[in-house]
Amino acid sequence: MYQRIFFLLFMLAPCVWAQAENLTAAEKVYRQGILASGEPLRGDREIGVQVEGAEAACANCHRRSGLGTLEGRILIPPVTAKYLFRTNGSHGLEDMDYRFGTGINSQREPYNEVSLARAIREGIGKEGQKLNPLMPHYPLDDTTIASLISYFTTLSSDTEPGVSGDTLHFATIITPDADPVKRKGMLDVLERFFADRNEFLRGGRRVLQSAVHVKYRVTRSWQLHVWELTGSPLTWEEQLRQHQAAEPVFAVISGLGGKTWMPVHRFCEAATIPCLLPNVDLPVEAENDFYPVYFNKGVLLEARLLSQVLQENKGQSGIKRVVQIYREEDVGQEAASALIKAGGTAGVASISRVLKTGAKKHELENMLKQGSAGDAFILWLRPEDLQSLPDELPKMNSVYISGLMGGLENSPLPKAWRRVAHMAYPLDLPEMRKARMNFPLGWLKIHKIPLVDELTQANTYLACGIMAETITDMLDSFVRDYMVERIESMVSYRTVTGHYPRLGLAPGQRFASKGGYIVHFAEPEGIRLIADGDWTIP
Amino acid sequence: MRIFNSKLLMLLSIGMIVPIAGAVLADDAVDPHAGHRKMMMSAMSEGTKTSTAEYVLPKIKLVRDDGKAVLLADELNDGRAVVINFIYTSCTQICPVTSHTFLQLQGKLGKDRDKVHLISISIDPEQDTPAVLREYAKRFEAGTGWNFYTGTTEASIATQRAFEVFRGDKMNHAPVTLLRAAPGKPWVRIDGFASADDLLSKYKEISGSK
Repeated sequence: MYQRIFFLLFMLAPCVWAQAENLTAAEKVYRQGILASGEPLRGDREIGVQVEGAEAACANCHRRSGLGTLEGRILIPPVTAKYLFRTNGSHGLEDMDYRFGTGINSQREPYNEVSLARAIREGIGKEGQKLNPLMPHYPLDDTTIASLISYFTTLSSDTEPGVSGDTLHFATIITPDADPVKRKGMLDVLERFFADRNEFLRGGRRVLQSAVHVKYRVTRSWQLHVWELTGSPLTWEEQLRQHQAAEPVFAVISGLGGKTWMPVHRFCEAATIPCLLPNVDLPVEAENDFYPVYFNKGVLLEARLLSQVLQENKGQSGIKRVVQIYREEDVGQEAASALIKAGGTAGVASISRVLKTGAKKHELENMLKQGSAGDAFILWLRPEDLQSLPDELPKMNSVYISGLMGGLENSPLPKAWRRVAHMAYPLDLPEMRKARMNFPLGWLKIHKIPLVDELTQANTYLACGIMAETITDMLDSFVRDYMVERIESMVSYRTVTGHYPRLGLAPGQRFASKGGYIVHFAEPEGIRLIADGDWTIP
Repeated sequence: MRIFNSKLLMLLSIGMIVPIAGAVLADDAVDPHAGHRKMMMSAMSEGTKTSTAEYVLPKIKLVRDDGKAVLLADELNDGRAVVINFIYTSCTQICPVTSHTFLQLQGKLGKDRDKVHLISISIDPEQDTPAVLREYAKRFEAGTGWNFYTGTTEASIATQRAFEVFRGDKMNHAPVTLLRAAPGKPWVRIDGFASADDLLSKYKEISGSK
């Protein structure tokens, strides 16, 4: 009892002044490896390796949340107060948690100021044992140690918004220019998945009392909030802030975008809300950002795949000019610039032709008529435009289309075009993914959800599954940073990966699938595809 | 009461260590090779496990950091001694340590540097394109004679399987270093965090270099 009071005092006292003066400094040490003096943090490892600066930062191993991780067989223990200072015998079996690395022994001594300082400086644990050789010895002064310790007392200790005793709140975000068919398809999946999950808690929610609930201690229902944005993208961030103020959520799941996702990405990063696996053709490429996670780079990935093909074919193909066509209100513009930036037009002429909003069929025809024998057309166009391509092929060398924008194998390309067109296909081939797709497609069928857009609906189902797994793995540590960290660690173990051959993330990786194919149609009719080459990482 | 018990246990276990240590010391006196053996043993860092192994390597195509497609066998059999580890560039825990160790090893090899080929094989090949590997090499100041390899996911897994280091996923990897004095010679495998000195002395031992 006295011990407990002592530790409470110990934990509270430094944190008062720390919050006022030192917390940011401690955070810099912890996350970036920068000392208050501006000098880099330095540490020595026993095997003779010195670390410095960012590489020496605590967060590399103990992670931003401080909740630690498992690196192969090496357990990297949590450094939050709950774990460091948990007092002797204060927890029963129901509070057992593998993160302690102590198994079921509830009799371990907690750390105190002295033993923790020794662990940081000398790599010696609270019981006098040598810590793992991964743990550097940091020759830190008393002030820095004190600020770190007080940082640990607050780290991941608050209840995050969107978490209550019986409910976890999530949002999905839909931009006003999102495709209405996909919108319906996505919401059907989300609503059903959430309902399923809550129905599972039959007989009312309760906190289980026996040791069997070690892994599923508290069963919370999930609540989905649909945040539909309106008006100009310039106002979206403010709308999202208002949504979050009115109905705080723990994380953003799935979602549907149109021309731009940037305001949503920025909101999530600023509000420190995980923004998991939205359905967007043009994600935001900012891998230093922490909270937004995407399936792949969408049309940017397509642009790089196409750029690579154009470069490889240079010389033998007779391409003299690359002509990119896109609509001004769509994501093709960014894709076209990405292709140029990736060097796809190096050594040949390059022009972009823009279809203005409301442009009619004949305007696209006119653009094509201006083609010449050395032109490679790149069409960043939606099914509506592809459908209206003239039956007669223009003068050209070759034509490439965006699979994601053009409807993939279901693209309504006219016959003549199907014979010659190549398509960027940043997914696994239909034949190859058949077995994997049984999971999402079977689930949709069982729940009698109409299949309206396979990619959107399968991705949404996948996003829900990944989130459900992650939430389960997190036990009761509903910490947003931890959620992202767990997804990083867990997603590559999945075998159900829908349209993607595999998924993988890591610190600093925010796009789970990295490659794609260039394909062409096997026949002028039908949806069978033939890959031009192997799965490629551009 | 329980606390008392565990303290008692601790005291007991301390008590038990002393006689064992004594036995080791006593051993030195009677065994003429004990000193040598002990030196060999203590030469390796704590927590490492050294073993000898034969690996059958299938034909595997990899891509070197300069973008060139190569055969693993050709890279291993150019006559130089080889030291191999497995890394991925987004790794923030194990790999920075093993990569630093390679950097130090390059420095310590001195005049033998050109006789040893350091090989780091990515276990996250889709992320670690040749360009990404070159960046990583720069970060760890890798000199000539230290190459990084990527390839298809299948090729990376085949390589890991061949060397018995495949653990299902990059997130589940463990530190392993493999050394071989020359083509046809057996492999020495060190599990755990080997220091640059460990690797250097092992290299000298198997290659007979002074």
